[in-house]
Amino acid sequence: MEEKELSRLLKICRLELSEKEQKDIKKDIEEVVAYFDILENVDTKGTEVAYHPINVSEKLREDKAEQFGNVEGILKNTKTYRFYVVGPKV
Amino acid sequence: MSSIGEFEGKDIPESYYPKLVKELEPINKRLNAFLTISNPEGGFPFSVKDNICVNGVESRAGSRILKGYIPPFNATAVERMLNSGFGFLGKTNMDEFGFGSFGLNTEVPAKNPFDERYVAGGSSSGAAVATSILKYHVAISESTGGSIATPAAFCGVVGFTPTYGAVSRYGLIDYANSLDKIGVMARSAEDVRIVFDKVKGSDKYDTTCTDAKFTAKDKKKVFIIDQFTKGVDEKILSSFEKLVEKFKDMGYNVENREIRLAEKAIAAYYIIAMAESSTNLAKYTGFKYGLRNERFDEHYNEFFTKARKAFHKESKRRIVLGTMVRSASVRDRYYSKALKVRSLLLDEMNALLKEGFILSPVMPILTPKMAEAESLTPLEMYKSDMLTIPANLCGLPHISFPYAYEKGMPLGAQLITSQFNDYAIMDMVSKWEKDFEYRFKYNLGEL
Repeated sequence: MEEKELSRLLKICRLELSEKEQKDIKKDIEEVVAYFDILENVDTKGTEVAYHPINVSEKLREDKAEQFGNVEGILKNTKTYRFYVVGPKV
Repeated sequence: MSSIGEFEGKDIPESYYPKLVKELEPINKRLNAFLTISNPEGGFPFSVKDNICVNGVESRAGSRILKGYIPPFNATAVERMLNSGFGFLGKTNMDEFGFGSFGLNTEVPAKNPFDERYVAGGSSSGAAVATSILKYHVAISESTGGSIATPAAFCGVVGFTPTYGAVSRYGLIDYANSLDKIGVMARSAEDVRIVFDKVKGSDKYDTTCTDAKFTAKDKKKVFIIDQFTKGVDEKILSSFEKLVEKFKDMGYNVENREIRLAEKAIAAYYIIAMAESSTNLAKYTGFKYGLRNERFDEHYNEFFTKARKAFHKESKRRIVLGTMVRSASVRDRYYSKALKVRSLLLDEMNALLKEGFILSPVMPILTPKMAEAESLTPLEMYKSDMLTIPANLCGLPHISFPYAYEKGMPLGAQLITSQFNDYAIMDMVSKWEKDFEYRFKYNLGEL
């Protein structure tokens, strides 16, 4: 893995690593990805992907707004202004 | 054999519960099974893995990044336990977000109650230790790739992972949505059955949760898989051969078979698990849950990045790897390929399990000491899951149970069956328990 590629991934993931951590993670990733390549020789031609191990039925709820019973409990986990969650600048 | 039945048949004084807490606290300080301990205030005590939400109780999936997060609701499994009269005893320790096979990727690792120098197994380390030390208790736990079977085996208890979708995941702090399963640890298969009966079944808050009928079809045939004995420690194999003989005595026909794709399962599993976990962990940014970065004047990129420093090394590794395998340039090569390999493995395992059960050891290695497990490379750790991953990747019900003791440490075997035939493997372990006495070093809360 090129250092440029690792930097790109870290930026997307919003992760900041020290030089030593970067060196270690790069080594680990290279070893693991090389192992992932054992799938290369499996013949998957014409095979459907299995997003789930069981057949998941399409039983979606009606798209209707519902009042959650404990809004106060949600807001307790955040910094709030009136009933808004305060976040960083965009 | 049911400790729930035995407990419920007795007149339990109110003083039992505070006494139990008092007895548990000093042992827990040594073994680190529980992250929180509450007075169960009546009912059979149950614990909840830290990645499953309990209303008003800190739930942080073993992570620093969720420190201080207090869920304003109960997970469906917890709600159903409470509604069935069980008493909540506490949250149990685990590898951060379930990322680990030995219980070490956490602030204070749980220790094996049989010998504290050894690991408890992961990721549900605390649940297994709690079950192993408490006479009357069951654990609500969770498995993604072996997080119930492995610690159950190392700590000498019964660990049941149901068919994917059998128990609602509502209120579970996700690791990998297509792999996570809430299950049970207990001291007997009968206790597992009682708890499974309470928590299973469809839930409007989880669209993947099934209302299928669960069966108990006994197929009278047990398969030993060639790939599941290759590379397994000789001492484990020698005890396992005796177990196979006992299954023959119990009336099962034993046959050796192959699962062609078994050796590819680890790679397929870790690609899918990491891809899904990297998206799930994107929401931890330091202002909505748990750990709070109060510097709201900072730009969001800087703000998020600072908060995400709280992740453990293993989590960072999985986030980067998971993001990489989903990248447009390699997506087909890794992520889509892994999903197709899962599809092929499902076909292969489903065909085999129509005819009989799979029996294998749970782990290819003897319980390691803490330092031995710490010295493994990430890939070595991932490979140690080789026997638990195929069933987990395919959403197949499996149950781990103690079958021998090697130098005082328990060994665990597992039975795997076809999807929705969950009761059959509980029945088999119940039969096994009739002639095999489980050993425990502690029996806290004895009446």
